[in-house]
Amino acid sequence: MRHIPEDELHAYLDQGLSRSQCVEIESHLADCPACQATRDRIAALRDRTTALLARLAPARSLPPPFDTLRRRAAEQASERRRRLQNALWVASLAVAVGLGWAGSYFLGPASARRSPARVANAASPAAEPQPSAKAPPKTSIAVNQPAAARPAPALRDSMPRRVKSRPAEVKRGAREVRSDSATAAVLAVLNPSPASELSVLDTARSEGSEFGGMWRTMSWDGAEAEAGQPLPHIDGLPVVQVQVQAVEQGRRPLMVVAQQLSSGQVIRTIEGPATDVSQLLARRVSDPDSVVLRTDSSTPRPEVVSQAMAMQVGDRMLAITGSLPPDSLRAMIRRLNAEMRSK
Amino acid sequence: MTDELEQLYQSTYTAVVRFLYRKVWDAERAEDLAQEVFVRALAHRPEKPRAWVFAVAANLARDEARAAVRRKRHLTLLKGDPIAQPAMAPAADDSVEHDEQVASVQEALNTLTPRDREILLLWDAGLSYPEIAAQTGLAVGAVGTTLARARRRLVEAHDRQQSNTGTDAAHS
Repeated sequence: MRHIPEDELHAYLDQGLSRSQCVEIESHLADCPACQATRDRIAALRDRTTALLARLAPARSLPPPFDTLRRRAAEQASERRRRLQNALWVASLAVAVGLGWAGSYFLGPASARRSPARVANAASPAAEPQPSAKAPPKTSIAVNQPAAARPAPALRDSMPRRVKSRPAEVKRGAREVRSDSATAAVLAVLNPSPASELSVLDTARSEGSEFGGMWRTMSWDGAEAEAGQPLPHIDGLPVVQVQVQAVEQGRRPLMVVAQQLSSGQVIRTIEGPATDVSQLLARRVSDPDSVVLRTDSSTPRPEVVSQAMAMQVGDRMLAITGSLPPDSLRAMIRRLNAEMRSK
Repeated sequence: MTDELEQLYQSTYTAVVRFLYRKVWDAERAEDLAQEVFVRALAHRPEKPRAWVFAVAANLARDEARAAVRRKRHLTLLKGDPIAQPAMAPAADDSVEHDEQVASVQEALNTLTPRDREILLLWDAGLSYPEIAAQTGLAVGAVGTTLARARRRLVEAHDRQQSNTGTDAAHS
């Protein structure tokens, strides 16, 4: 007859066995003096262990009232909530700053990196579309007026109000530009990218109210891949934003490329199905707030309001919008059309 | 729900303190940690509160031990001494004899493997075989085996010490 293993006797005494196992062990114990002796030895071992461990007990103290713990739990819960709210706030701030950075990194300088030649002659197209006497010759104004570097005042006024997340940085940036206006003006002519980086935040923010529909802001390469053709743009100007809206299946999407002149103004070139583009333009003209970079109110420039110029080629339409004199826009869209066709 | 937790608190608080004391060897700290365990239980509302309470207590004690080792190392570095034995001295009590008895059990307990020690302490805290199994990841059938070994080793180690100190006393 098989004797009961010691482990099982421990489990038996500890009440760690099932009812059927207990019955089995008890029926064996009844007829087996050897196992009875083992059981008694193990019971003594158990008791000794318990007695030894009992020495390792702190002086008995009464538990504090449970309500004390309830209060502590409630306090900790509210503390956790507060910390979570803080964390969310910090996270949203980080996302806002990150978006701004990503926008400036991927849209602005990226296009400049892609083709250094474009940036090198950046000043010329900016100057070119302002040949008429009506338009103020911006580049020369920028150099001559000490308070100029035209983007700076505009940015200083609009940024802290519109983009709450980076007021300190933007203010500092604006102050630097102003404090050394002569150098800044020259910089603005030679290298428009610092201004464009700042203004990205502004254009990105106004994107929603600017055009209706499902717009996606994309990288230059991504948009070009989606369009399957070169994007409409003015050679040599830094690109601040590329937006794409899908149209009917199998047709090329509606594309809007925002670029910045050295003066800080943003112009948009639009290419897409004729109906979509004309709808877009109609919405834009009816919305007086659609001017993206409002000029400083202290600088009277009544002749410059947001203008749009469009040109239809087959069922597609090419358009350009910006706060430029109509002559300039016309010259630009002609050149744009010629370029798009030659490609 | 709250009543259930409160009942558990009344019935197991002392066991939790004792369980923690055998790990942190500081009565006051053990009580702090035990209260912390129940505060957390109030926030979490565990489904099986009894098992949960001891699982959390074990985790807190482990964190505490790690922190103690770090402090110890830091102190040791400052003193430039070799790493000393962990502070195992229990809180001062009235009788020297009692102290010695406590120290001998403590040493005996320290000769066990961490797993054997953990299971023995959980058993002594009042957990059932299935609860111990759930907490340690052991099969229920293996709990008896482990407990059998742990008890044997604890008693053997203690007896060995007693005979050693006995011969020491006889020699001196």
